[in-house]
Amino acid sequence: MSGLADPFGLLRDAAYGAERLGRSLIGQDRIRLAVTGLTRAGKTVFLTSLLANLLAAGRGQRTLPALERAAGGRLRAVRPVPAGIEGLPRFDVAAHLAALAADPPAWPARTEDLSTLELTLELDRQSMLAGLLGTRSVTLELLDYPGEWLLDLPMLNQDFPGWSAATLARLRRPGHAAAMGAFLGFVDSLPPGVAAEDSLVQRGFALYRDALRGCRDRLGFRFLQPGRVLNPGPRGETPLLWFFPLPPGARGGLAGLMAERHRAYVEAQRREFFEPYFRRFERQAVLVDVLGALHAGQAAFDDTAEALAAIAEALRYGGGWLDWLTGVGVDRVAFVATKADHVPARQRDALSSLLGHLVAAPQRRATGAGVTTSVHALAAVRCTEDDVATLDGRPVAAVRGVLLSSGRSAKVYPGEIPLRPPEPGFWDHGFFEMPEFQPPRLDREGGAGVPHLGLDALLAALIGDVL
Amino acid sequence: MTASDDRGGDGREGFDRPRGNQAPRGPRVIPEDEPAAVPPRPMPQAERQAAPPGGPRVILDEKAGPAPRLDFQWEQAVVPVAAPRPSVRWSGIGRAIGGLTLLGGGLAALDAANFVVDQFGRGAVQGWATLGVVAGGVALLGSGLWREVRGLASIRAVDRARAAFARGDLAAAKAETLRWAASVQEAAPLQPAIRGAASIAELGALLQPALAQLEARAATLGRNAAVQSFAVTAISPSPGLDALVFAWRGVRLVRQVAALHGLRPGLAGTLALLRRTLQDAAMVAATDVAVDAAARALLSNRLLEQFAGEAAAGAVAARRMLRLARVAAEACRVLPPG
Ligand SMILES: Nc1nc2c(ncn2[C@@H]2O[C@H](COP(=O)(O)OP(=O)(O)OP(=O)(O)O)[C@@H](O)[C@H]2O)c(=O)[nH]1
Ligand SMILES: [Mg+2]
Repeated sequence: MSGLADPFGLLRDAAYGAERLGRSLIGQDRIRLAVTGLTRAGKTVFLTSLLANLLAAGRGQRTLPALERAAGGRLRAVRPVPAGIEGLPRFDVAAHLAALAADPPAWPARTEDLSTLELTLELDRQSMLAGLLGTRSVTLELLDYPGEWLLDLPMLNQDFPGWSAATLARLRRPGHAAAMGAFLGFVDSLPPGVAAEDSLVQRGFALYRDALRGCRDRLGFRFLQPGRVLNPGPRGETPLLWFFPLPPGARGGLAGLMAERHRAYVEAQRREFFEPYFRRFERQAVLVDVLGALHAGQAAFDDTAEALAAIAEALRYGGGWLDWLTGVGVDRVAFVATKADHVPARQRDALSSLLGHLVAAPQRRATGAGVTTSVHALAAVRCTEDDVATLDGRPVAAVRGVLLSSGRSAKVYPGEIPLRPPEPGFWDHGFFEMPEFQPPRLDREGGAGVPHLGLDALLAALIGDVL
Repeated sequence: MTASDDRGGDGREGFDRPRGNQAPRGPRVIPEDEPAAVPPRPMPQAERQAAPPGGPRVILDEKAGPAPRLDFQWEQAVVPVAAPRPSVRWSGIGRAIGGLTLLGGGLAALDAANFVVDQFGRGAVQGWATLGVVAGGVALLGSGLWREVRGLASIRAVDRARAAFARGDLAAAKAETLRWAASVQEAAPLQPAIRGAASIAELGALLQPALAQLEARAATLGRNAAVQSFAVTAISPSPGLDALVFAWRGVRLVRQVAALHGLRPGLAGTLALLRRTLQDAAMVAATDVAVDAAARALLSNRLLEQFAGEAAAGAVAARRMLRLARVAAEACRVLPPG
């Protein structure tokens, strides 16, 4: 996706860059914060907590001390930008907060569609001329979307044969066998020149969809394409989705139809998802459920790392001469281990250290483009407190919370978090699924924000420099 | 990522050790009253007891039945502390303004004192007479200022209303705005609507038109004051007197604007109001100085200079009054501006 191949894109970039420059000159910065995270990484909860806490900070509550320090105490007000004529749903913070605060509480359901919200932070100017120029504003653009769709981004640069080969190679790995068996049996038994018979396509697609679902829900895999098969969005499944990878050398009607749908799908995703939302952004928070990946076993852990690297490869971090010319590019990227309240305080450093290894490839790519990066451990909604459990007669640091399913209080010992990707022997204990905790008691209106761990430090690192 | 030195002593070594010796790390649910719950795959009893705990697990509390939700006392932890004043950089221009203020005020006082001393040089009668005139003038101005300044106390109510809006405390904001509406003619018909408001934002929207009306009237007051101070500076003999007249008219203007907003001025709140207002007015002074200097540089013709110098001083004073009216109106709004 070089700019040269797409002159109109280049023009739009230039216009965008000029607008940004103009806005920052008159003190009305606009920043798109891309929150990227695979499915269940915690994007929706993160955005809810971010918005609730920023709005509370705008009312003077001290919910984000580190950010306040970064802003030098000049934060005057925070308000959502009033709805305009957008054709997209608005991210409903109030509803998410109410559900978290309700009795019994509920976490947000899987996100099924895009939703956006913009937030304006109003700040005093730092100079003595403040009274003349009035306040300065920074508008944050935020987007929530289903995590599965993110995996469509790496597809944008592949043709059908290339995508098929890469996808099948990945799905044939032994870790996937439990879910992939039926589908692989089906495609391998297809004669090379088979025609595009409708019921055959339907059967193949149904097998592929079930296989992907099994990989996601039972085995904890994330690098599953195309994303819309797992999460078709509000309109449901369309024939555009009915394709699946074929072994190399496939010819004939079926292969032709698959290639055609693949191409149309990629184009649609480029037009509807990538171009408007991910072509240009200034800051990025990469959310990763490190603990979930660790507990899902080695294959899933490696798969998560691979998926994150592929997504980073597909995003533009700037740094090229064209980016420099058009003034478009990413300034800061933060890698974030979410749900840090699942481990006791003393293990959180290990969590971010492990994340650092997991995202080594994306981080290298970002730093290579001149982007400032940082690594954090964060709990958007803190649901536990530290405690000590006795295991086999020895005291170990654990966390205590109330389980969502039973309402009972329980201690969870999350295991020892290794500082780097562990040796093969580590995985022998098999899978462990972290139970969901109840959120703590919350104020229904969210007037005081939401208890969190490390959200303020993350925001200070991400946007502290523009405040 | 400085975790390497933070090794917990509780079993991390398990990962580097040879396999045969490893702890049972499998996930499991272990109610505390049955510690020997089933690990995922069987393991010799002896080994399990010797090895350090490894794998993740959930340990349910003995107490069956639902537990209360965790409470971090978050609301109490985040209440705003006495609002820290934002750090204003005492920049070069700030120092310059400070210096100018000091020079202006100090020199006016010295001027007056010298004048009195000079008059004493001419003779005791003239001296005493001048001193009496100056002292009387200063005393009158002072008492006038004092009366005006004393007049402003209900500013506190504005602060309370604004705080309620900032907290998002609907009940308090309603109570404050109802009281406010009762004392302001323009807002009186709004009272039923205020009682029915369902959210802070709605309340703000309801008040907006009345506030805009008040703002327009404050601007008119400002224009009147501007005309008057322009006239006074044009005819007054000394810059020191100008400053005093300006200050007196300024306070009066602030008071008028406050009255417009239903505030019954008194001392305690006035200080807050004046501080807010004057802080802003000081900024205005800075640009005025710059404009004035530019005007003088352009008008090098002696005659023109003579003429324009006076007029420029008057214009500056008038502009300050207009600005003051706006700032004062902003300071008196029950709803924070913007
Ligand atoms: N304890 C704890 N659990 C969290 C936190 N954030 C997320 N979770 C859990 O993770 C689950 C998934 O979070 P979501 O924010 O819905 O994930 P998502 O990234 O939006 O997922 P998709 O919408 O499927 O892409 C939630 O239902 C919570 O159970 C956190 O800060 N603390
Ligand atoms: Mg979501």
